[in-house]
Amino acid sequence: MQVVKKYTEPELVQLLKQRSQNAYSYLYDNYSGALYAVIVNVVADNELANDVLQEVFIKIWKQIETYDESKGKLFTWMLNIARNASIDTLRSKSFNNNRQNKELTENDYSAAGVEQTVVDKIGLRKIVHQLKEEYRVLIELSYFQGFTQDEISRMIDVPLGTVKTRMRTALIQLRQIIS
Amino acid sequence: MDVKEYIESGVIESYVLGLANIQEAAELQQLCKQYPEIQQAVTAFENSLEKTSVNNSLTPPSFVKENIFAALKDEFTEEKQATVIPFTPKRNWLQYTVAASVILLVISAGLNVYYFNKFNEANNNYLAILNEKISLNAKVEGTQAKMLDLYNSMQLMSDPSVVKVAMPGVKGRENNYTTVFWDSKTKDVYLLANKLSAAPAGKQYQLWALVDGKPVDAGLIADCNGLCHLKNIPKAQAFAITLENEGGSPSPHIDQMFVLGAVKLG
Repeated sequence: MQVVKKYTEPELVQLLKQRSQNAYSYLYDNYSGALYAVIVNVVADNELANDVLQEVFIKIWKQIETYDESKGKLFTWMLNIARNASIDTLRSKSFNNNRQNKELTENDYSAAGVEQTVVDKIGLRKIVHQLKEEYRVLIELSYFQGFTQDEISRMIDVPLGTVKTRMRTALIQLRQIIS
Repeated sequence: MDVKEYIESGVIESYVLGLANIQEAAELQQLCKQYPEIQQAVTAFENSLEKTSVNNSLTPPSFVKENIFAALKDEFTEEKQATVIPFTPKRNWLQYTVAASVILLVISAGLNVYYFNKFNEANNNYLAILNEKISLNAKVEGTQAKMLDLYNSMQLMSDPSVVKVAMPGVKGRENNYTTVFWDSKTKDVYLLANKLSAAPAGKQYQLWALVDGKPVDAGLIADCNGLCHLKNIPKAQAFAITLENEGGSPSPHIDQMFVLGAVKLG
């Protein structure tokens, strides 16, 4: 989807902070697809993803005052909101399904395994699939499922130091793929 | 520090993807200000991530946008309608909370007044009882002191070495009667005012010892409890009491003599 830029980023941010409907509509039209993809990547459920996307755009609207340009680009800020909201939803969904934490872990880890569904074929997750297995797993568990390196070390039974080293390689390779 | 190494450490990607911990994020933000190369690397990765994300996007159903814009329709500035304060559940909740707080505050204030009055009442009662106790204690102490004086007087009166001098009223003042107790060892003089008319204002009774025909001041009679301990008189043949001006006189006014008694040594 090629985006025809109408505003520069500082202009867009300023207009959003001034509560401009046009700017907000522009923001939605240009970024909802990218954010929706990452939401689907995480929650793996289109119905749920619709609710999360709505929640994310309401949050962006309500919290635009707190966006600080010096800490990163607008899209980075929005992507983090979308990822965090998705992981929260994933966790509460699992909780509502009355699944124990351990079961959740195993279940989701297997979901991150080889036989993945359509979720793998869209968005950033598609890119991550180009990584070697040992690196891909780390990005899957940390980025798309929100586990800490400590937790991952225990889940895949690999020493924390090794997890850190592999994670670093995984991130550098990811950068090389997308740039 | 080695900027190149830092750029290749994966911290930048961690930070942008939201995987860095608070410490790493704070450090990176600091380093971005110091090293333009690091800031450039961060921005480059952000741009790549944005481009890749947008290029791999998934179009959401159109109703999502409609829902969002319906939810926010009163918050856009470009709609020039009068500002209406949206009665959203959040405000509703806030209003109930405020209302509940006010009600609780009123109840609490009422209870404060009620209990403050109760407290005052109880405190006043306590103070009244405390005062009563203090005055009762004082009375008891006074009574005890009086009893002790009387006991000591009794001991003195019954002491065989003490000479009792009966002093009947003189002619015309016969209704007066006093007694002197004269300790023959210490020579101290004690007076018991058995019956003595109250001294008029500005006047005071004075005891005299008659020593070889001459009156010697033996002390002024004040309000005594039982016996009045007066002066030390080594030698006397008789005792007399006159009414003098307050503070006493150097020599007695004989016409003001009330009682008189001779010492009868046993």
